[in-house]
Amino acid sequence: MGKDRKIRVLIAKPGLDGHDRGAKVIALGLRDQGMETIYGGIRQTPEQIVQAAIQEDVDVIGLSCLSGAHKYLFPRVMELLKERRIEDVMVIGGGIIPKEDISGLKEKGIKEIFGPGTSVIQIGEYITANVRA
Amino acid sequence: MLNEPEEIKKKKVEWEENTVQPALKRFLLTESPTRFYTPADVGEIDFLNQIGFPGQYPFTAGAYPTYPYRPAPRSGYQGAPGLKRTSIYAGYGSPEDSRDFYLEMRERGQKGGPNLAFDLPTQCGYDSDNRLVRGEVGKTGMALDTLRDFEVLYEAFVGEMDLDRIASNFTVNADSNIVVAMYFALAEKRGISPDKLRGTPQNDILKEFIARGTYIFPPKPSMRMVRDSIVFFNKYYPKMNINQLGGYHIRAAGATREQELAYSLAILIAYLQEGVNAGIDIDSFAPRFTINSFGGSMDFFKEIAFYRATRRMWAKIIKERFGAKKERSMIIRQVVPYCLMGNENCTVQRPLNNIARSLVGGIASALVGGPPQPYPPYDEALGLGWSLEALQITEDSARILQYEAKLTEVIDPLAGSYYVEGLTNQIAEEAMKELEKIDGMGGIVAAIESGYIQSQIAKSAYERQCRIDRGEDLIVGVNCFVGEGELEVETNRLVAHPYNPKRREDAEARQIENLTEVKRIRDNTAVIRLLNELKVKAKNNDENLFPHFIECAKAYVSLQEMCDVLRDVFGEYQSPGL
Repeated sequence: MGKDRKIRVLIAKPGLDGHDRGAKVIALGLRDQGMETIYGGIRQTPEQIVQAAIQEDVDVIGLSCLSGAHKYLFPRVMELLKERRIEDVMVIGGGIIPKEDISGLKEKGIKEIFGPGTSVIQIGEYITANVRA
Repeated sequence: MLNEPEEIKKKKVEWEENTVQPALKRFLLTESPTRFYTPADVGEIDFLNQIGFPGQYPFTAGAYPTYPYRPAPRSGYQGAPGLKRTSIYAGYGSPEDSRDFYLEMRERGQKGGPNLAFDLPTQCGYDSDNRLVRGEVGKTGMALDTLRDFEVLYEAFVGEMDLDRIASNFTVNADSNIVVAMYFALAEKRGISPDKLRGTPQNDILKEFIARGTYIFPPKPSMRMVRDSIVFFNKYYPKMNINQLGGYHIRAAGATREQELAYSLAILIAYLQEGVNAGIDIDSFAPRFTINSFGGSMDFFKEIAFYRATRRMWAKIIKERFGAKKERSMIIRQVVPYCLMGNENCTVQRPLNNIARSLVGGIASALVGGPPQPYPPYDEALGLGWSLEALQITEDSARILQYEAKLTEVIDPLAGSYYVEGLTNQIAEEAMKELEKIDGMGGIVAAIESGYIQSQIAKSAYERQCRIDRGEDLIVGVNCFVGEGELEVETNRLVAHPYNPKRREDAEARQIENLTEVKRIRDNTAVIRLLNELKVKAKNNDENLFPHFIECAKAYVSLQEMCDVLRDVFGEYQSPGL
């Protein structure tokens, strides 16, 4: 990634959960921090998210889920990325993810989970520090 | 007023110079962190027209003339006759799981009909066996696919608790008419006549487009379904409430309180207009509109003022714009005012602090005429389903506020406060400006179709986050008072919540089996015929779809099968981007 290329982030909500305040706020905040953000919206299937990530050539996927379906949906995104041999996209997540579920998600390849109370600046700094060059 | 406003203003200036300034010097402050209000700030208060008596137009002081709530020994307030409350909002897994849950709660002393939470597939018009909804079945509530599922759930409500003795609450919106039709079909099967059925579907689709997200069809066909519900209930099910409104979700999505009030009113206007356009007298159906909740914040006085402004404006609109004559058409019919601190302000960090936060809401709730509802339980942010300890604390907090602090003995005690009356007027005025803007756009449906509302809410949400990130809005334990010297107080949930985690895990598989069996043994020829007929009827805007939904329900047509036909005819809503 050259110095001129902005970090590209796809923010999307897999599954049926419609609570999109956090996802929208993060998309707007990362944009203000100089990243190219694509807001994928709600009601995205894992397939649609991965397809959009490939099409938009993103560096980061941010998944948001508050309905309890993260244990299925987040790993499913990782599976599909693996199937499509996408290895250099960082996947992070947030929403309402009980503490006890976090290590399981990380084992499946989710890099980090950002819970309630995280500042958007924190998320931006994390992405900048950890995104693959 | 005994003192002329001009005289008070003059004295205030003197006070600022002679008393405040020396104090600022003494306390090493450059400017005063406090304000003080006098009669000059609010001017002449027109008590009879602007405030009035509780339970009388314009209802600023209260929806009811007295405090009608009676506490139950367990599980909070049971309400009063006419405000009969259903159980606590609950439901999960398969209908068997929810049935057993309600039976268990009954043993713990919880009376009343089900206040049913549905899973997202049900709310979004999908069946449990749809591959697209894997992982979601039974998670946020009970899975409902066919009439069979209500038959199972309501095995918990028979005899003394049959459908003519209880009221049911259904938190469902886009496909509310289909879910309610299944309920009506169940009642028919049990030989219970329509005029005895009591219940409340949420049935508030417009807020789904802008805040909550469980929409299916575009706004205009959705309004046709709203019309169907108003007309059908009004004619055949007079004891059913038509909807549960209120801007709770709108505020939680990020709207300011003025925006919430404006959009709630605009939505109310649109629904009332559907009934009026269908030729029904306003006083005949408006009393069947209820309120779920409004939103809130930690800004204590502003939320009290907000409630007063909301009651006044709600009543004014219904009286002045729609010519209602019955006072019962104009009041905010709400079980309890209960989200005054804004549930979304609960933190994951040091969760026991949420007890203090919910107390702010509980006290505010008492001061606006409700029972003190220190809601939500402190573990709100820790995951779906609360611990029983947290529920116990919530109930005890309410009891302490009522019986020890005696907060409910005086109605609207802040009436006449120079500060609060001024705030009430201010909030009402600003909300009115935004409402007039929406009027100018042609109403809320047009404002939703254009994306205006959605972008306003996203903007407000973002502005709030920026203030938090800049440290301008303080959240204790999150962006201030953290670090060394501060204890990260944690909590354990020791008493398991009655949602059985194992049943929740395998609910999806079991429900798919249930549905497969229903589809196998039902009369599939009839199903196909009924769906074809539905398509024809849906295309005719003048036809009320309720009777046909009931027929479909009785034949065990599934929720998604009906919704798919409607998707075909109505289209699906496409949300505007960011």
